[in-house]
Formats: sequence, C-alpha cells, structure tokens
Amino acid sequence: MDALPALSDGLATAVQHAGRALCAVHARPRVPSSGVHWRPGLVVTASHTVRVEEDLAVVRPDGRSVAATLVGRDPALDLAVLKVEAADLPVADLGESDGVHVGHMVLALGAGPRASWGVVSAIGPARSRNAESDVFSLDLTLYAGFSGGPLVDARGLVVGINTSGMSRNLQLAVPAKVVSRVVDQLVRHGRIPQAYLGVGTQVVRVPETVREPLHLAQETAVIVIEVQPGSPASSGLLIGDVVLSLDGHTIADPFDLRAVLRPERIGQRITASVLRAGQRLDVPLTVGERPPRSR
Amino acid sequence: MDLGALATELRRITVAVLGDDHVSGSGVAWAPGWVVTNAHVARESHVTLQRADGTRAEARVMARDPEEDLALLHAPRLNGAEATLADNGEVRVGSLIVAVGHPFGVRGAMTAGVVHAVGPLVRGGRPWIQADLKLAPGNSGGPLADAHGRVIGVNTMVAGSLALAIPVSRVMRFVAKAR
Repeated sequence: MDALPALSDGLATAVQHAGRALCAVHARPRVPSSGVHWRPGLVVTASHTVRVEEDLAVVRPDGRSVAATLVGRDPALDLAVLKVEAADLPVADLGESDGVHVGHMVLALGAGPRASWGVVSAIGPARSRNAESDVFSLDLTLYAGFSGGPLVDARGLVVGINTSGMSRNLQLAVPAKVVSRVVDQLVRHGRIPQAYLGVGTQVVRVPETVREPLHLAQETAVIVIEVQPGSPASSGLLIGDVVLSLDGHTIADPFDLRAVLRPERIGQRITASVLRAGQRLDVPLTVGERPPRSR
Repeated sequence: MDLGALATELRRITVAVLGDDHVSGSGVAWAPGWVVTNAHVARESHVTLQRADGTRAEARVMARDPEEDLALLHAPRLNGAEATLADNGEVRVGSLIVAVGHPFGVRGAMTAGVVHAVGPLVRGGRPWIQADLKLAPGNSGGPLADAHGRVIGVNTMVAGSLALAIPVSRVMRFVAKAR
C-alpha cells in the first residue's frame, strides 16, 4: 500500500469526522470562534472569545444557527461552556489525551471546517496562568477563529481544545481529560471553585542562622505581606509570618502555595508551619473558597 | 512513494522562470511545449525557462490574464516531463499537499502541509485552494500537488500564514481558452 496517499486520506477523514461536532461560536464582534459539541447540549469554546454573555449563537456544521447560553467559564484554562438545544447534533469522539506525546501528528480545526497540521511540540504545566494542569504546546498555526476548536489526532479523535488566548506567543491546547473535568465542574457549580487562604505573599530567603537549628533544607519560603479581613488566614496568620510548609508540602515560592491549594481542599483543615519572631510554630487553618470576583 | 520521492517527481515538472538571470518565479510544465505560470511572474513578452537539470529554453508568452493571474508560455524546445493533473476529484480539507518552487531563489524547494479550506476568502470572491503551508516569493506559478504527485493548483499568493493556489480546473479553463 502507498503510505503517503493513505496518510493523506486518513487526515482528510479525520477532519471530516471531527468536523461533525464542530461549531462556529458567535460571542464577540467580527470573527466568530470555534466550539466543540462536547456532551449532548453542551458546547465547549475558548473563554476569551466569549466577550458578550447575552444573545449568543452557535452555528452548527449544517449551517443552522441555534441560540446558546453561557453555563460558566474557567478563565485560568481559557475554557467556556455553552448550553444549546441541538438534540440531533453529534457529540465529539473524545480521544485519550493521556496518550498524546511530544512529536505526535495532530490537526487543529476551525469552524468550516478549516484545517491546520503539525505536531505536539511540548507538554507541560501552564504555571503562569495559575492553572494546575498540563497543556499541549503545538507546532502549528492557529488561524483567526481557531480558538475553541478541537485538537484532533490522526484518527480523528478530539484530544484537546485549542487556544491562542492563553499565551502571547504559544499555540496551546487544553487536554480533553482536563476539559471534561472543567465541564463537569461548570455544569455542577456554574463556576470553578478556587481554594484560597486570603494571604498576599512574597518570596523570602531563609537565613542560614535560622535554617541550621531547624534543620531546614529549603533556601526560600514565602512571607505574608497581606491578610485579607474575614479570610481563612485571618484566624491564624499575621503579617510578617514566614510560611515554610503547608500540610507537609514545602513552600519555596507563591506558586507552591497555589499548587497545594487545589479545589478539593476547600473545607479541609490543614497546618501551616510558620516562622514567627524566630520561633517555629504550627498554625491550623481551614481552606476556604475564594468569593466570586465581580466582573 | 515517500515525501522525498514526491519532491523528486515534482521537481521534474517545475521550471524556473528567469528574468535577467535571476529567478522571477516558478512554472508548471503543463503539456509538451507548454508551461503555465502566474501573470505576475511572466511580465515580458519573452522569458527564459530552466528545468531542474539545468537545461534552458526560450519561451513566448502566448496569453496573459492579470485578473486571473495566469499566463501561458509556449516553449517548443522545452523537453522533459509534464504534470499529471488532478482534474477529476474533490480536494479534501486536511489532505496532505506539497508545493515545489524556488522561494527566495532556492531551487526546487519543497514544503508540505494540508488543505486548509477550499473556496473564496470573502463572500463572493474567487475560489482558492487555501493551503496550510509556507510559501515565499519565488513559489509563484509553481505546482501545488496531492499525495499522489498530481497537480491540484498553481501557487499564486500568500494571505497571512495561508498559501493560496488557483484550482487546477480554473487553470485548465484558462489554458483551453488561450490555446
């Protein structure tokens, strides 16, 4: 068999297959974005492309336009979920996004369908965005209107949602498994609950004279520079406290703090190990849920 | 056939259009003695063509349509292979495509990508094969081919990161009228 024509046909069939659940999302002026019919009646798109929250419309692959409402959004992962009435619209065939590796051939699709081809160039945490999940970095072009569209493997299975809105320079995709988790949470709560303590912190070097008697391996920790009134932290932490660890996890910088404060910890009692006035002490805290910010 | 073999085959049907001894663009060996290129590549009444093996032939510009951006060149002494045209099938979005030409004067360079879309860029505009691959000046007039090496279009311009090619059916209509 001739390998190249077979690959070519395979890619075209992959586009066709994934295109059955691919919609155009009209939620901003000018260029519509893309969206994927993820579960019956739920379309996933990129949050940054949902600029208005009323009079949203989704155009199906057959060209019919249906009204949509916003279920919720996760700005950290640039995802939004829309509700539509589309009983006969096929849902996307999801692939195992854990099976996606660097170097895999992938297609990014935009409503139409339009296609872009390349490889997965890296997989890693989107740390700067305060998102705990790994994301795919893509070596391909995300054309205008491609954000919110599917990342498709060579078999036509949807393995992620693409966005050019999460990074200034990178073309990224959120893995399908993470998208499904976000959809679950947004359907259940209408929002992504965020764990918080209510402190502002900054990295601080722990002096040798302090580290040695306490047998501390870490060279840095975080110093509390703000305690929000009425927050979980206000019951135990003081400005000037140096937080060394939280629930046994070493805190070397503010990112470590965020990594420990995962949504499932909301309501849990945890212990902060802090330095206060040269003494080490344990402070019990209850992780709270960050109150929704006004938009 | 692998990509290397595909490149070799396409280089045989891709000519360089020379102006003052530098490459002004590419051309497709369309039929014995006939070459198709872009109108913006063949600006004079006569041009020199060069095959990948270095042989040269003089050509007369027989027809030139600046609006279509196509030109038909007659080169009776040009020997060698001619293009196989993909004139019977639809062009599928996502299918593999390759372009061969002389971007920035680099002879016989190949780029690979996929079909991005087929149709006009704006409503009511002319239809293009919109290609997700990288073209540069010097690619103009050269072939865009499918995974079998059949020519599906003539590379013509770039819009942002998209490459635009005139569909082969449109080129065939132009050639039929011009000859």
